Amino acid sequence: MFKFIYRQLSYERPRTALTCVAIAGALAVILLLEGFQSGLLLQLKSVALNRGADLIVAQRGVSNFIASRSRLPQLSREKIEAINGVVVAHPITMVPVIYEKQGYRKSPVFFVVYDTRGGGGPSRIKTGKTASKPREIVIDESLAVLYDLNVGDAFIVADFEFRISAIAERASALFTAFAFIDYDDMIDFFFDSDLVGDINNLPLLSYLLVVLEPGADKGAIAKTIEEVESAADAFEPEQLAQNDVALGHTLFGPVMNVLIAAGYIVSLLVIGMIMFASVHARLRSLGVLKALGFSNRALIKGLLAESTIMILLSFPLAICFALLVARIIEASVPLYLVSITELVPMLRTFLAALVLGVLGAYLPYRLIARLDPAVVFRS
Amino acid sequence: MFYWSLKTLFSEPMRLIASALAVAMSFVLVIFFSAVFEGESDQMVAYLEKMDADIWVMQKGVSNMHMASSMVWDWKVDKIARIPGVQKVKAILYLNGPVKIGGKDWFSYILGIKPEHQGAGPWAMAQGNALPGIGEAVIPEVISQLVGVKIGDEITMIDRSLRIVGLTKGTFSMASSVVFVSHHDLGDLLEGKDQYSYIMVNVEPGVSIADLIEKIKYEVDKVNVLTNDEFISSDWQLAVQMGAEIVRIMTILSTILAALIVAFTTYSLIARKRRELAIAKALGFRNRQIYGAALGQSIIITGFGLLLALFISFTVLAWLPRIIPQINLAIRLHQFIPLAVAALPVVILATLGAVRTVAKVDPMTVFRN
Repeated sequence: MFKFIYRQLSYERPRTALTCVAIAGALAVILLLEGFQSGLLLQLKSVALNRGADLIVAQRGVSNFIASRSRLPQLSREKIEAINGVVVAHPITMVPVIYEKQGYRKSPVFFVVYDTRGGGGPSRIKTGKTASKPREIVIDESLAVLYDLNVGDAFIVADFEFRISAIAERASALFTAFAFIDYDDMIDFFFDSDLVGDINNLPLLSYLLVVLEPGADKGAIAKTIEEVESAADAFEPEQLAQNDVALGHTLFGPVMNVLIAAGYIVSLLVIGMIMFASVHARLRSLGVLKALGFSNRALIKGLLAESTIMILLSFPLAICFALLVARIIEASVPLYLVSITELVPMLRTFLAALVLGVLGAYLPYRLIARLDPAVVFRS
Repeated sequence: MFYWSLKTLFSEPMRLIASALAVAMSFVLVIFFSAVFEGESDQMVAYLEKMDADIWVMQKGVSNMHMASSMVWDWKVDKIARIPGVQKVKAILYLNGPVKIGGKDWFSYILGIKPEHQGAGPWAMAQGNALPGIGEAVIPEVISQLVGVKIGDEITMIDRSLRIVGLTKGTFSMASSVVFVSHHDLGDLLEGKDQYSYIMVNVEPGVSIADLIEKIKYEVDKVNVLTNDEFISSDWQLAVQMGAEIVRIMTILSTILAALIVAFTTYSLIARKRRELAIAKALGFRNRQIYGAALGQSIIITGFGLLLALFISFTVLAWLPRIIPQINLAIRLHQFIPLAVAALPVVILATLGAVRTVAKVDPMTVFRN
């Protein structure tokens, strides 16, 4: 039977190849949707984890690092650094701004304000070096690609001119690019630009990145921090990362899940239809086999095997298609991370494809069962 | 030849239906993505559109609501209201961030409303009060359905608990659900009780909006003043980047997939009929007629698929938001046009590719065989 299947598939090679490409295309759509979701969550997770802290202190009631407005009292740093076991508490401030450039679309940007002599800055630099001079800024690669910016170029926000000292890698989350600046520049930015206008409550300190002595008890120190500074909550970065991922799930999970579900249903129906059409087109040759003494069961087994082979051939191709498209998307819009190679979604897609391939092969069972071998000879 | 073309196509109805369904399903996927994109895009600026303002006033340097922070002193509202030509003003205090409802964080537009600016509040209620008092909140009905909270339950806005007093309609979106709270509560949180974020201005009949914008800019310092259309367009541009763009990318990719499925279906269909076409050629039909017949069959299958897709989209898809309320779908006829345009050249190329071998056939070979 396997020899027959092999002959069947190799008899019309262009058609077999086109079937594989069509199935692979359908599977690639699912892999890409899964990849978008995984990438968005990975980006959210890495924001808190990449800050290089043992504990992160936020305003009381704020339990996210991203998409939250946290304001800590100015004196909280001093109080927390006085706690036994705390080496240093690096300040960090998140300021949302809008970047506009003539002839381009505008984009939301998160200014991550940090002490350039301390921690909390960009975790990976692609080109250039971190800001060391006044008005220097490190921007995410997505901004560099989108606005055609390079190291040394001006980066103007609300008429305030920064100079790009480096391009950071993978410094974005929640569809928003990050740009890293120093505290002195933030103050200058607030006062030189018109943004300060009516604001009597400037966002000066959002979070504190606490570095502990080796071997210090994180839980105990977190508790002490919350006692010493009642306006603050202390988190391990993993906890904040988890909260950000949960926020991501709530924010775009419902829609992404429906998109993925639609991708699964439609793509797999397409696969089912392709398999059905392929079997239906061969009813005559199946009738010949039946006339030669093959049972319905044997014929269905053969079709199942053929369907499985088609899925096995198509799936690696689907991964290649998805990886290629993901690379193109990431290169042209680096704001997005399309993570195709996550094991669980990949396995899920593979199993779903196998199940639907099998169902597609089963669909014409009644046609085969009712097939009268004599018809073959009559025609 | 045309009659033959139709007869052979309908002689295998199961194959015809399977092929058309495969095409239809791939089209439905494109329509679904496209409908999600348009539905979400519309919903992202629903609040701004429903306010029906002529002019929006905000802090200088700010030109949108999404991801923005704007603060203007409350006396500026009074000053604007006194400018000749202004019919009425309403104002809101605004923050975007997560609100904990039913144990989950929902990224929201949090709007602080004062009783005298009730017009800036919800425009359609499902249940309860439209105006939140101190310690109260009005949330989207969709969220209440999703997490099972009801009027009287509590939500958390950063560091304070608020009691749900109303459920709104048409305020849920993937990127920005609208939660209404009292100006007092939000002002207290932002330390801006004497401030607003956005001021909405309606112009008296006969007054030029452009002239009034100039007057406001002249009279009130450190503000940005935009027409309603400018503000909505500016906000839409930003909001659409918050996830809707992914849907747009997926629409393009699924269109490519649909083209692939159309190519596959067309090629398979015609490849199966090569023998019949070769016989037709042997019987004296010219290549042009054979190409025409094959193309006719392919177009009928694809057209049938498109009609099926239309039917499924306007029935099954349109019904989807009833069971998945968090999805905003906007199914419109114009979404089918790019599909038809993309499918046509693919159908032609795939058909020509499949028939090409027949066109080269020497009719005598049919008889020899």
